Amino acid sequence: MEHVHPHHSDHQHGKPLIRFDHATFRYPYGPALEDITFEIADGEFIGVIGPNGSGKTTLLRAILGLMPPSAGSLQIFDCACERLQCYHRARIGYLPQKELVDASFPITVEETVLMGRAGVIGLFRRPGKADREIVRHALEDVGMADFHDRALGALSGGQQQRVFIARALAQHPQVLLLDEPTTGIDTPTQHTILDLIKHLHQDLHLTVLLVSHDVNLIAPLTDRIALLNTRLYAIGPAKEVLRKEILALVYGQEAVTTDAGHVLIADHHHP
Amino acid sequence: MADLLTVSFLQRALIAAALAGGLCSVIGVFVVLRGLAFIGAGTSHAAFAGVTFAYLVGVPPMPVAIAFGLATVWITGLLEERGRMKLDVSIGILYTATMALAILFIGMMKTYNAEVYGYLFGSILSVTQDELLVSSLLVVAVVGVVLLFSKEFFFIAFDQKMAEASGVPARRLFFLLLSLVALTIVVSLKTAGAILVFALLLIPPSTAYQLTSSLRGMMGYSVAIGILVSCAGVLLSFRFDLPTGPAIVLLATAVFSLSVAFSPKRVRRLGPA
Repeated sequence: MEHVHPHHSDHQHGKPLIRFDHATFRYPYGPALEDITFEIADGEFIGVIGPNGSGKTTLLRAILGLMPPSAGSLQIFDCACERLQCYHRARIGYLPQKELVDASFPITVEETVLMGRAGVIGLFRRPGKADREIVRHALEDVGMADFHDRALGALSGGQQQRVFIARALAQHPQVLLLDEPTTGIDTPTQHTILDLIKHLHQDLHLTVLLVSHDVNLIAPLTDRIALLNTRLYAIGPAKEVLRKEILALVYGQEAVTTDAGHVLIADHHHP
Repeated sequence: MADLLTVSFLQRALIAAALAGGLCSVIGVFVVLRGLAFIGAGTSHAAFAGVTFAYLVGVPPMPVAIAFGLATVWITGLLEERGRMKLDVSIGILYTATMALAILFIGMMKTYNAEVYGYLFGSILSVTQDELLVSSLLVVAVVGVVLLFSKEFFFIAFDQKMAEASGVPARRLFFLLLSLVALTIVVSLKTAGAILVFALLLIPPSTAYQLTSSLRGMMGYSVAIGILVSCAGVLLSFRFDLPTGPAIVLLATAVFSLSVAFSPKRVRRLGPA
């Protein structure tokens, strides 16, 4: 019997929110991404994989409008990314790659999440009761409501990660960009975080772009997977793109083996 | 009559100390959290160079000090942004260059000018009514702007890149914050002196940092400590006939040492995790 991937039968994706059209992004010392063309539809869940330095984070920064393309175009919410305004940016929730929070930095969980409201509220206005309510909801969504008055630095890595996801949610974003949300976190917590992301995608109808180096961990969640190494090598449903010959192009011939449906990538790095 | 005069001159000094101490400790919170400490040191010397230049050409010192201070923070901000040079090196160069300018200007003066040295070492007991008025206006302006942008400033202090990514015009506000640092230093120049104003900017917030685990708490403690040690320093210097700047700074340092020794964070770290 033919097994139908649930994401493709049930999911009705909306109009494209983000459009890369032959877009190239350069750093002063060379190209970061070259000739990228693809669209992200409203409500889609896209996983982005690729080796270290393949431009995964650059892709996210571009979507935030922080890096205009040197050639080609990038449209975000029907707006050229060069002209992206602060209020556009506020509609995109972003979880950057985890950096250690100085354990003694004096900030509470609630204060951290409230910062997510800053861009939405705009200048010259103070957060009010409604904003605090949104913060409380965001903390409930990630299961951290009981920790609202705790010091951020005193929490574990996984808990901090959930607080930062809550900060992104407090923006009431349409799109959620997640950069390696499970790196440096123990395995049970990794699954908690991924379940949480899955729940946010399904129940809050968020469009999700998830960058990861662990393809097997994220593949079951995604509608499509993008294989990136400066160029976009392939994008499509996991079953179609996670093939040995494509992976070998992205990661190098000797790095890839497949074993019982799992892809093994000898990817050296990631402390 | 003499008593009355004494009181009003002491009152003036106390008000000046409270203004400078309070203002420095508000702005200092952002300076400490954002890691801009050495910008404070560089800027105070630039502002002092501005004062010496003003005395040399015979114009009011405050505006020139403000201009020199602003130029320095903006240059430093741009250097930090570009990231081509290590910040400690560029600030070190700016710091010594402005100090050299100050010494040059002093050398070019025909006569010895005691007032100039007041700005270098601090001479709060000679603060005039007019200077107090200008300081008060600047304090109101700076605190007003901080209140207006406090949510953005705290976000920038915590994580500027993230602030930018979530829709805060972080770059422009960062330069606004730097400008406030420069204004704050100029306001405090006469109270603490160019050499010691840096301490007023750093010590109260760093003490507060030890005592609390919330941003709001840090701001509250910082302002309270800043005002208290500044006023207490004035009273001590008055009572024991000591120079005011060092009295304030050494008192603040003592309070800071106590806060480190008895910090709840430190206790927590030493205890079972």
